[in-house]
Amino acid sequence: MESVQGGDSGAFETLYDRHGGAAYSLAYRIVGTRAAAEDATQEAFLSIWRSQKGYLAERGSVRNWILRIVRNRTIDSLRRSLVHDKRRASGDRIEETEPTPDRTDVEALRRDEARTIRTALEALPEQQMRVIELAYFGGFTHIEIAEMLDTPLGTVKGRMRLGLDKLHTELAEVVS
Amino acid sequence: MHDEHAENVGAYALGALPALEAQLFEGHLAGCDSCRGELQRASQAAAALARSVVQFAPPPSLKESLMAAVEAEAASVAEPSRAARARKPARRSWLPRLRPAIALAAASAAVAFGAGTLLTQPAEPRTVAAAVDQGRLPDGTASLLIPEDEDRGAILRVQGLPDPGRGRIYQVWVQRGEEVVPVSIFDVDSKGSGAAAIPHSLDGVSAVMVTRERRGGATAPSEKPAITADV
Repeated sequence: MESVQGGDSGAFETLYDRHGGAAYSLAYRIVGTRAAAEDATQEAFLSIWRSQKGYLAERGSVRNWILRIVRNRTIDSLRRSLVHDKRRASGDRIEETEPTPDRTDVEALRRDEARTIRTALEALPEQQMRVIELAYFGGFTHIEIAEMLDTPLGTVKGRMRLGLDKLHTELAEVVS
Repeated sequence: MHDEHAENVGAYALGALPALEAQLFEGHLAGCDSCRGELQRASQAAAALARSVVQFAPPPSLKESLMAAVEAEAASVAEPSRAARARKPARRSWLPRLRPAIALAAASAAVAFGAGTLLTQPAEPRTVAAAVDQGRLPDGTASLLIPEDEDRGAILRVQGLPDPGRGRIYQVWVQRGEEVVPVSIFDVDSKGSGAAAIPHSLDGVSAVMVTRERRGGATAPSEKPAITADV
């Protein structure tokens, strides 16, 4: 990471090779089209290249740091594009029944981890899972979600809080 | 009061608090160990969501395009003028204008995840002097500090401003095209000095403005800007 922050393009390429797939997959999960996912991923990685001092080891793993940037950039782009309602109608989707095959042990482990987290998310009460997904992957504020679901603001906040707490308990080994 | 703030932990961790609420929550966090602890757990759970998605391989063209941009910037370090041009990323046409209500939320996410680095790492900034309405702010001066990478936002600094009045506060806005979007609120000290972060990209922003609003902030300006910095 220090080499990337020092402007080493070779180190940056390695960083992309390690985390580009996860970043692109997250962006695709949020925007739902290949072109928009590619744009968001490229924009996020360019910001990483230019940020120089953005990563602080004491704040967590490089992977979580990169994915946080990708998520924020993608949501920001999504809000600017106002494609919340249209994004999935573009016909520019990856066939979700055929995710890419595992090429390495690391990728296989990541897929296992992804399945574990999804299982824990899906095990939450449906109303909690829904508000968490709308906020995290949809980029909606609690106010927008409350309007969408015709639910009081306090209830929406409470579901988010409870849901994340349960998720943390279920995923203690994964998140630590 | 604590319970009212603690209720926001989950929404904050998910980036779902609008900017003004997020700022208030951050103010509470500074003095509340209990909320900081709960937020750490909630943020870890939220971070795990990013790793939950079905994995797809990005197309090779994405890496080619990205590395071409990176190599070009690396090569142009010795030529500042070329580097400055390269730093403006090409944006696709699928990114139209911000909507005020949505922009509030975008600012929230930026405050939640980006304001810390913004305030501490302005690289080779430039300063833009702001026009101040001398009728309303007779001793006021203001300037906008813009980092070289405008994607990181900017910092507005003010001096000599009067107290905004009982129950009122200064609010910062940005103008994008014909839209005026709320960004943040700030107060001034006894000498009239203060600062506010504009925590998202200045891309497309033509001006940064300040008005006096009711404490807690407004969704649209209630008066003509007292301060205007043309970007």
